[in-house]
Amino acid sequence: MGFAFHRPESLDAAIGIACEHGETARFLAGGTDLIVQINRRRIAPGHLISLAGLGLESIDETDREVVLGAMATHDAVVTHPGFGKQLVALAEASAVIGGRQVRNIATVGGNIVNASPAADLVPVLMALDATVELRGRDGTCSMPLDRFLVERGRTERRPDEILTAVRFDKPPVRSATAFLKAGRRKAMEISVVCVAAHLVPGRKARIAIGAAAARTLRVPQAEALVEANGRAAFAEAGRLAARQVTPIDDVRASARYRRLLVATLVERALAACADRVEAGAA
Amino acid sequence: MTRRALDLTINGEPYELAVEPHWTLLHVLRRELGMTGTKENCLEAECGVCTVLLDGKAVNACILLVEQARGRSIVTIEGLGDPEHLHPLQQAFIEHGAVQCGYCIPGMILSAKSFLDERPGRVPSEAEVREALSGTLCRCTGYQKIVDAVIAAARQMNAWPERPGNAP
Repeated sequence: MGFAFHRPESLDAAIGIACEHGETARFLAGGTDLIVQINRRRIAPGHLISLAGLGLESIDETDREVVLGAMATHDAVVTHPGFGKQLVALAEASAVIGGRQVRNIATVGGNIVNASPAADLVPVLMALDATVELRGRDGTCSMPLDRFLVERGRTERRPDEILTAVRFDKPPVRSATAFLKAGRRKAMEISVVCVAAHLVPGRKARIAIGAAAARTLRVPQAEALVEANGRAAFAEAGRLAARQVTPIDDVRASARYRRLLVATLVERALAACADRVEAGAA
Repeated sequence: MTRRALDLTINGEPYELAVEPHWTLLHVLRRELGMTGTKENCLEAECGVCTVLLDGKAVNACILLVEQARGRSIVTIEGLGDPEHLHPLQQAFIEHGAVQCGYCIPGMILSAKSFLDERPGRVPSEAEVREALSGTLCRCTGYQKIVDAVIAAARQMNAWPERPGNAP
């Protein structure tokens, strides 16, 4: 195991180091996945470029939108005072990532760029129609998170690009989000299936599913069904979603069981959203 | 790889080290400094025996590069108390018989300290303590006495906040 450790003092310096070393360089956020992969000798980067101290740690809110810095930790998401009501699914997802020791280090950006199909925060961000911001040698660009994710372990990010932030519009007062996760135990578990839902009654429904395909994915047909028919369509939306996912058999569960979970969790996540909207209006 | 100079504060003492880039904080504590109170086991952030406090927050020292801790403050089990001046958590673990083989206990105590320090003045519920300790595995005790000890320590720390060692 031998790599050089770089601690650049600006984003541009970090990008410069990445350009210099090409594929042998990796950006380091919290490292809770990267260091494990290096220790297992699955990857052997020649250069690690730290993203600490570059101003990417903050969680900012304006009247219109929320911006999560890529280096914001999951603990910061869980404890952020603004994520209590309509955005509670963000805290629900970040709260079940690893144990507290991991949540104190692991980052929002790492959860996205790592591109695990089982990432817990990603379905919530996707249900909120989030956009990722990238900065590389050619400047900055942004794209929908839904487009950024390609497949397991692969994104649209080029090696010189840093994911700097993820942003989304603040949902209206009369709306809700929910995140549900199925695992074999309640804590320290990689999701067997996870589901995030976002409901703006009469206007918008979003359903994003993790660990049931090669990437986190939305199920637009099920969303359209809910947008047209509301609560009456929640169960059918779950069944429809179960037909649209492409889960695999692995050590954690069979594909068949994952489909059953998708149907159930989609219905329950939508119901949780509807209940929360009603509770908020009461 | 050439070594680089690195400053760390460990248990309140400044350290100047020469480190290799791939060294973890756990390696530095155990192998370079001989602080073997921090335990080594899974090396993948699954078991929590290597838990230390980084700027007051529990982290897994096994997957944290020491470079990531540059300039920051570390607390290990060696920094918490001594036989004459036990931390309330250490005292409560003894009184409740919360220790069997002992291997997980340094991580257990520091996980609990990080959790209790974040909510001073409150006695947590059993469910909260179990959730807080979920990243720290014990294969002997069945957890009940550990949970009891953490709740008892929280009561003690709230009752005597001015006592040395009880302050966050």
